[in-house]
Amino acid sequence: MYNSYELNESVRRALDLYSQSMIKIAFAYLKNIADAEEVTQEVFLTYLQKRPVFENSEHEKAWLIRTTINKSKNMLKTGWFKSRNPVPEDLSYLPKEESEVLQAVLSLDKKYRIPIHLHYYEGYSIQEIAAIMQAKSATVGTWLARGRSLLKEKIGGLEDEEICL
Amino acid sequence: MKKSVYKSAMSRVRTSEDFKEATYQKLMLELDKSTINPTNNSTIQKGRIKMEKANKKKLTGWTVGIAAAAILAVGVISVNQNQNNPASAPTNQEQTADATSKPPIMGKVAVNIDGVISEVSEDGKSFKVGDLWVEVTDKTQLGSSEPTAAEPSQELLNKEFKVGNIVSGFTSQDVSTGKVSADVIYNLIAPEKEDAGKPATTGKMAVNIDGFISEVSADGKSFKVNDVWVTVTPDTIMGITEPTAGEQSDELLQKEFKVGNAVSGFTTEDLSTGKVNATRIYNNFAPQK
Repeated sequence: MYNSYELNESVRRALDLYSQSMIKIAFAYLKNIADAEEVTQEVFLTYLQKRPVFENSEHEKAWLIRTTINKSKNMLKTGWFKSRNPVPEDLSYLPKEESEVLQAVLSLDKKYRIPIHLHYYEGYSIQEIAAIMQAKSATVGTWLARGRSLLKEKIGGLEDEEICL
Repeated sequence: MKKSVYKSAMSRVRTSEDFKEATYQKLMLELDKSTINPTNNSTIQKGRIKMEKANKKKLTGWTVGIAAAAILAVGVISVNQNQNNPASAPTNQEQTADATSKPPIMGKVAVNIDGVISEVSEDGKSFKVGDLWVEVTDKTQLGSSEPTAAEPSQELLNKEFKVGNIVSGFTSQDVSTGKVSADVIYNLIAPEKEDAGKPATTGKMAVNIDGFISEVSADGKSFKVNDVWVTVTPDTIMGITEPTAGEQSDELLQKEFKVGNAVSGFTTEDLSTGKVNATRIYNNFAPQK
């Protein structure tokens, strides 16, 4: 159990360390930065209310990412989210190649783009992704391979890359 | 594609600059709230608050009810004491018993229903405004009966509740249940469409025909001015017919259209087609040499 000071410090530290990762994973899920930031705030609120105890910082990060994914899923299911027609996120400020790659990844089905994001952005292994997504390693491997294959069709490349199981 | 391209792209995606600070402030605010009430679990906290409120309401209700019953009893007793027919009057004991056995008189509180519809039920008879589901029943009054009230909209009269429509009305039911029946729906307004404010573009516009004739058709009824062929039809009004206009000489309005003549008038047809019928010809004269 934290006291108030420890809680303040742990929240501030988590905000500094993980907020960008959480926003980015929520963005990969929701394709909108404003929604991603809202979800991230909700996750920190849950963090504050539940005050989970972690074994180490990796455990803490995995918990935050898992909660971000869950809350993003919840937001996708809400009626108001489904009913609206948001303006697509403006990514024109990115260099052309980066913008194309990002758009291509975002256009994938979420079951492919989340493992791809966790692997290519966060650098997680298949086993780690499987633990975060609560799925089997083989399934995650299939999602990654299928996602890469779809990306190859869209933008080319990636054929020379492998992921170690 | 290399791994680094996606990572670099994602890293460059812009987020709010003050996100960390804003989130930290929000969280500290929440922490302060929970410190004031030492119960950590917010759901338990909410539940307790609700229960406390409900108990308070119950207590107030019963107090008001009993007080009302007592006043009623005293009133009835005093009225009965003044009556001359003691046989028909019930005893004081009966009176009090009657009064207390009735439920307390509770006042109704009307709550406004005001906002944008976010969801509509499948049967179209219920809609969601904020977090409240509102059902429109046969007892729901549509429109306002006030003499100065605006006419109810067609959407309201047809009971077409659509997502995005703005609705206003009230209910006297308990909104804390999350679902109520509307007592009155004053109005139901469809949001303004984007092109609603734009002026109509179907009106006719007159365009001047003004210049020198560069070509004349073989039949002499059409001529070319500024790359536009103008045909003079039997419907074309010739000359200035306004009551205050002076008499026009034949020189200024020659009957024959000749190359080099200066001509003026107007048409209501689309010039972009390159060929129009003249609505009116004011002048057709040979320029002075």
